[in-house]
Amino acid sequence: MTTTTAPAPARTAAPPVAPRRRARKRTHRLVTTLFLGPAVLYLVLFYGYPVVQNVVMGFQHYTISTFFTGDAPWAGLDNYREVVTSPLFRTALVNTLLFTVGSIAGQFVLGLGLALFFRRRFPLSGLLRSLVLLPWLIPLIVASAVWKWLLDTDSGALNRLLVSTGLTDTGVPWLTSTSLALVAVIAVNVWIGIPFNAVILHGGLQGIPDELYEAGALDGATRWRAFRHITWPMLRPVVSVVLVLGVVYTLKVLDIILGLTGGGPANATQTLATQSYQLSFATFDFGQGAAVSNILIVISLVFAAVYLRLNRRAVDE
Amino acid sequence: MQHRCASTTGGIPAGGPAWHDRPVSRRAVTAAGLLAPLAALLAGCGAERSATSPRTLRVLDTYTNDPDRTVVGAALDAAAAKVGVTLERVSVGGDSLIQRVLQQGSSGTLPDILMLDNPDLQQIASTTALRPFDALGIPTDGYTDGITAAGTYDGRVYGLAPTVNTIALFYDVPALEEAGVEPPTTWDELRDAAAALTRPDRYGIAFCGAATYEGTWQYLPFFWSNGGDERRIASPEAAGALDLLADLVGQGHASTSVLNWSQADVKDQFVAGRAAMMVNGPWQIPELSAVDGLEYDVVTLPTRDPSTQEAVAPLGGEVWTVPATGDHAKEKLAAQVLTEFLADDSLLSMAEQRSTVPGRPALTEAFLGRRPEMAAFADLIQGARARTAELGPEWPTTATALYTAVQLALSGQAGAADALAEAQEYV
Amino acid sequence: MNTVRHPWLHTAAGIVVIAVLLFPIYWMVNASLQPNGATVDTSWFPLSPDLTGYRTALAEQGPNLATSLVVALGSVVLSLVIAVPAAYALAQFRLRWAGWVLFGILISQMIPGIVIANALYSAYADLGLLNSIPGLILADSTAGIPFAILICRALMQALPPAIVEAALVDGAGPVRAFVSVVLPVSRNALITAALFTFLFTWSDFLFALTLTTTEDVRPVTLGIYNYLGAYVNDWSSVMATAVLASVPAIVLLVVAQKYVAAGATGGAVK
Repeated sequence: MTTTTAPAPARTAAPPVAPRRRARKRTHRLVTTLFLGPAVLYLVLFYGYPVVQNVVMGFQHYTISTFFTGDAPWAGLDNYREVVTSPLFRTALVNTLLFTVGSIAGQFVLGLGLALFFRRRFPLSGLLRSLVLLPWLIPLIVASAVWKWLLDTDSGALNRLLVSTGLTDTGVPWLTSTSLALVAVIAVNVWIGIPFNAVILHGGLQGIPDELYEAGALDGATRWRAFRHITWPMLRPVVSVVLVLGVVYTLKVLDIILGLTGGGPANATQTLATQSYQLSFATFDFGQGAAVSNILIVISLVFAAVYLRLNRRAVDE
Repeated sequence: MQHRCASTTGGIPAGGPAWHDRPVSRRAVTAAGLLAPLAALLAGCGAERSATSPRTLRVLDTYTNDPDRTVVGAALDAAAAKVGVTLERVSVGGDSLIQRVLQQGSSGTLPDILMLDNPDLQQIASTTALRPFDALGIPTDGYTDGITAAGTYDGRVYGLAPTVNTIALFYDVPALEEAGVEPPTTWDELRDAAAALTRPDRYGIAFCGAATYEGTWQYLPFFWSNGGDERRIASPEAAGALDLLADLVGQGHASTSVLNWSQADVKDQFVAGRAAMMVNGPWQIPELSAVDGLEYDVVTLPTRDPSTQEAVAPLGGEVWTVPATGDHAKEKLAAQVLTEFLADDSLLSMAEQRSTVPGRPALTEAFLGRRPEMAAFADLIQGARARTAELGPEWPTTATALYTAVQLALSGQAGAADALAEAQEYV
Repeated sequence: MNTVRHPWLHTAAGIVVIAVLLFPIYWMVNASLQPNGATVDTSWFPLSPDLTGYRTALAEQGPNLATSLVVALGSVVLSLVIAVPAAYALAQFRLRWAGWVLFGILISQMIPGIVIANALYSAYADLGLLNSIPGLILADSTAGIPFAILICRALMQALPPAIVEAALVDGAGPVRAFVSVVLPVSRNALITAALFTFLFTWSDFLFALTLTTTEDVRPVTLGIYNYLGAYVNDWSSVMATAVLASVPAIVLLVVAQKYVAAGATGGAVK
């Protein structure tokens, strides 16, 4: 990570007077340090060591003894080899990708829909808009318990509704069927993620000046064309943040899956994140657990790189 | 983390005349003002961790709920009073105990007396974090074989359980009478009973087949009594036991939700009348007794062929240990406290109030005199087997494989034999 | 901001949508009022409400709620103070290495929480920060600060540099320009970042669990955990506590949402 003392060259034109330029440069450097310094310091302090430790742990035989004796023999690529060749890895990888794509698609579309719906004012819109945040407010233990009851095969509210309206004959095994469990978990994750998307996109929508829409209306733009040519381009930076952060957070999702199905049934909802957790804290092979979470980080990095590429293009526009 | 005594970003001039002469001044003041408390915080880096007095011992356990919390607390305090020390007790949730122990192990802040779940003991002992009882002078004789096996690592005893429990079959007495069914003693009888008891609004039986160690735990009695061996799980005997469970679910006599239920959920189902029988443990007795209109009884779990097979129960319960904190004086005091804690009267009183069975068979008679309804469990405890008896610290991997097999078979993904073969790969 | 045609139609549609979305929340309230925490075959409406859960929650969780509130608000303040200037710098200063800082921030978001919590435990144990409110505020800001930087930066990118240049031309220094011009205009960004930081911290469980060892400082998420024993779950107390814990947060949310205004940058350039 770069330090705060490397200044950016001032992109001003050829200076008329040298001392004034130097003073301005110094001011600029000070201001940059003041504005960015605390943040960079905080990030290095709180994230630097864990990141390094996690990367190194992937290369060590780090077991429960290590916590007490400090011995962690070097393992080279053994952990990675064992993890990747384990029969569970491919299942977990596929599940992770399905889970991520499904969650992001659902959250984003529904979140954007809500944000657009609430863009203009109508009675009670303020209150309803703040209520949208409720799913995120609930502690995950409580949310997963409630959803587990709602989705129970025999006595869950959803199945009771479906059976009483005649849509199905018996309760649908949402959380206990290997084919449906992942869908159910994705749906719950979408529910939890909608507020995040809705509120941020709403904030972004509010930043689009009304004058643009008025001008567009004068030119005869329909709702769809206004969306495509005014809303979407202006929303791009916010959309890319929401999508990338959404992917990064979804890849890490752990508590909701563990709370709903524990990774089951029969590893149908086992993702790389839950596998890393179980390797570390159920079978106490921390080296392998760190290896899996490092693989997860690499996958996140790919998305991050894409984001930065898109972002650079957006700034230049 | 090497950020001790980090200093603030100094050297920024504070105060000054009008802002256009010193453009950063106001920000500097704000910055200094905000960073100062941070610096003060970090400047406390010289502060020692608060040391407890030499006659105060720290205890860590997982009894966060009553009655366990009060009962064990009282027993600990009584033992401490006899030795003349005071206790600082911290209780954490069961799931987070090992995490806490690891964190404390790596930062050198292990407690003086530590409670562990018995299958975890050998793993922790193998890390040299615990002191053996023979070196501390704590008596280790008179316990059941299962407890001694669970508490022994490399030939030395590192932990003992004052009271233990296991699982058995609870059944709804009126429900069985109504269906004209006797409490089952063989697997065939169990199948028939479950079938007879299943109604549209009620399943015949409920048990825990979740993807957690609770799922493994509930499979073990069937696995072991049929002759399964945890060193090689893909055996015909194991498959037979798994078939029993898979059939119960497959034929609709047990809900498919068993794949997701914890033992607490199973109890909820039983209490709500959604299951006529359940596999559970004596810790549920206080709750069950508090429910109006619930008449239940307990029998041992059926075996396939009682004439040739014995009911084998897995040993449950927590052991108490003395971590190697390096403070020998405190370790001696801890050992004395534990000796008192594990004495006859303390043990009996805990067993009676916690609905668990005393760990020393000699006390069973006295115990049954006070809690006659625990007879079924008391019988089972004599022969209860420790999960770590054969595999020691390697148990978690096999335990994971076992519940994976259960999940594969019960969800219909694979037949019992194939499920076990596939799970064997994970070991 | 325009109002819509047929406003009441929108309100009705909005209510339906929110009702469907929040059904699980209703269920949580329903469960909190069920007698004996009946979680199997829960009736659709709590026809005979049982307030035992609420009594327990009120009796035991009051201090925990206060702790949670203090930690959450402290975390919001700290996160905004650190993150917003940084976000502005990254958005508008045209720094050559801005990309690297952003990259670093994104990487930090990819680390599983447990890894951070374990590392912090050792550090806190050494520094004596366990069981302290400042310690929790600092730790919970690990979620807020990177997120606030990213969100505020995205929302600040749309800021026309013209308004800042106008202020600079008028003789303001960069700091004053920031405080008196940029901050008011970025109100949406600040509020959004504040909201999410508050929510992250309010519902944080991991750091609360790891960084406290005694009952002195106990956020409400940890208080809930106490009701989930090894054998028995006291669901009505859990749900009642969750409901009670939501109330102050909802109040804050409603108040804050009022300030998310439209077209904030609209008139400033003219």
